[in-house]
Amino acid sequence: MTCANPYVPVAAELIEVIDETPTIKTMVIRPAEPFDFRAGQFAQLGLLGVGEAPFTPSSSPSEKERLDFTVLKTGVLTDRLHECTAGAKVGLRGPYGKGYPIEKLEGKEVLVVGGGVGLAPLRALILALLDNMDPIKRMSIKYGARTMEELLYRGQYDAWTKHDKVDMDVTIDNPQEGWDGKTGVVTTLLKGVDVDKSNSYAFVCGPAIMLRFTTFALLEEGFKPEQIYLSMNRRMSCGMGHCGRCNIGPYYLCKDGPDINYALIKDYPNVF
Amino acid sequence: MTTWFVPKEKLESLLSEREGQTVFGPTETEGLSWLDAPGEKLSLTPLSRPRSAQSPKGFLLPAAELLGRYGSAASSQAVAEATRVVLFGIRACELRARTYLDRVFSEGDFTDPAYLARREQTVTISCDCVDCTETCCCTLVGGKPYAEDGYDANITAIQEGYLVDVATEKGETWLGDAKALGIQEADAKYLQRRDEVREKMVARLKEQNSRFTFQSDDETQPSLPEIDDPSWQKFAADCVECGACTNICPTCHCFYLYDQVLGKDAFERVRTWDSCLLSTYHRMAGGVNMKISPRPDLFSRLANRVLHKFTYSPQQWHMMGCVGCGRCIDACLGAIDIREVVEELQK
Repeated sequence: MTCANPYVPVAAELIEVIDETPTIKTMVIRPAEPFDFRAGQFAQLGLLGVGEAPFTPSSSPSEKERLDFTVLKTGVLTDRLHECTAGAKVGLRGPYGKGYPIEKLEGKEVLVVGGGVGLAPLRALILALLDNMDPIKRMSIKYGARTMEELLYRGQYDAWTKHDKVDMDVTIDNPQEGWDGKTGVVTTLLKGVDVDKSNSYAFVCGPAIMLRFTTFALLEEGFKPEQIYLSMNRRMSCGMGHCGRCNIGPYYLCKDGPDINYALIKDYPNVF
Repeated sequence: MTTWFVPKEKLESLLSEREGQTVFGPTETEGLSWLDAPGEKLSLTPLSRPRSAQSPKGFLLPAAELLGRYGSAASSQAVAEATRVVLFGIRACELRARTYLDRVFSEGDFTDPAYLARREQTVTISCDCVDCTETCCCTLVGGKPYAEDGYDANITAIQEGYLVDVATEKGETWLGDAKALGIQEADAKYLQRRDEVREKMVARLKEQNSRFTFQSDDETQPSLPEIDDPSWQKFAADCVECGACTNICPTCHCFYLYDQVLGKDAFERVRTWDSCLLSTYHRMAGGVNMKISPRPDLFSRLANRVLHKFTYSPQQWHMMGCVGCGRCIDACLGAIDIREVVEELQK
């Protein structure tokens, strides 16, 4: 998206609101002008006159007509977003950030680890890779949510795993009536994970505590810090590396991330 | 580059308003010099005084600024165009700070049109420091009390008058026709005098900062503990989280964007300075059991500010984030002296 004034949002229309879970909705947006992004890049999505916050699109970058943002109801803006219905106007700026390093994945096994609403940006990666799985050796998806109801995109897993190079494992935190799948936090799916550790990258997104324990679990499994990409998020006001507030050490997560190589940030305290 | 000798009354004549440009410079207020006065109050006296209490940062990055209006009912011509501004009497530390801001707002994938427009319209007339405050410490951080580049014209006050270096076309235009002014190029005697003034000032700054052992510049910096190290707590104990240090700092540029509602479908986006010392600065959305701030402890936020100046900026922008103006020391309600912080915590 090109705009003479990078700080001012461009109006876009909300064309559909999908109830994903009791706490998560997907806002489907039709941008006024093409919004070309790489999977993992984020946008500042807001309500006119209310404010904006960084969200990574959860739709495939190759979808040009619509842009999905999967939003957890968790604060002032997201409460208001959840109240919106089709036809509402939203503001959009971006895209910002580096995006997932898809170019590095040729011949690699890709381990995707999501926790809760963290599957949202990862879906953009999953869909982007599914668009062309030829160069990828394998994609293994590990996903966990607190409860069965909180599992995102439940109807879509079968379509993803239809590809013979894709497998998926899902868990919920505690046993629940009507659930006959795995239980335990998502790190339990990583114990003895069968990806080729010498030839893989892991992409992780979820709440801070999940990022932390997943990182430690991956390191324990033999992953090197360089092989782990974390969706790190801080409060990003500008998205361009100017406003200062999203730093981890010398890195601004808005421009050096938000999916950042763990090797870059591992020695800084308070990362998680 | 030509260096002119300009007598006092001729330099004074350049302070008055000229068509299409506004001159700003320090003026004397209760013994301090400030940079927010319009042209008619200007005099040359502040050139012989220490740097102003405020930095000229606000001329390029205003404390609050309208960035644009949006919405179908909003007028599109909301943002004022930058006008020609002459900043008279800028110090070397402030020029260095401006170079820092230039890098932040013009390098990388995104530039800042509002900043760059004002930057383009600014004529920078710098001056050598011939006096300093007790907190001035440019020589501790790789700076000098006189500018060597970055200005359109630079002035040195010497006993007999003023030496004016003209470095750019903007500077030439500001000075005007030398013939019309009847000024001469400075001779060797005056240049010698300038060298003496500069050496004397460097010696004075080194002397007043001689109790500090650390040395830093754009290439090398003292190693400081990370933000979770409890040694920062001693200094954080005196911090009242007012944000004065970041407001007054010539390189601090953190800001916050917010929206104002003007009417039905008319909104404006405003930018205001923000401060990394404030607990609300990083606060994210989220409920109980969520980590909503990456630096919940004040000592970590204080550490982050000092580390940004001394450690992160050299990695990000290849230059120090502290230019040694000493303003944060003057402004601090808790009397925190960044020199003492670095001196005590350096490893």
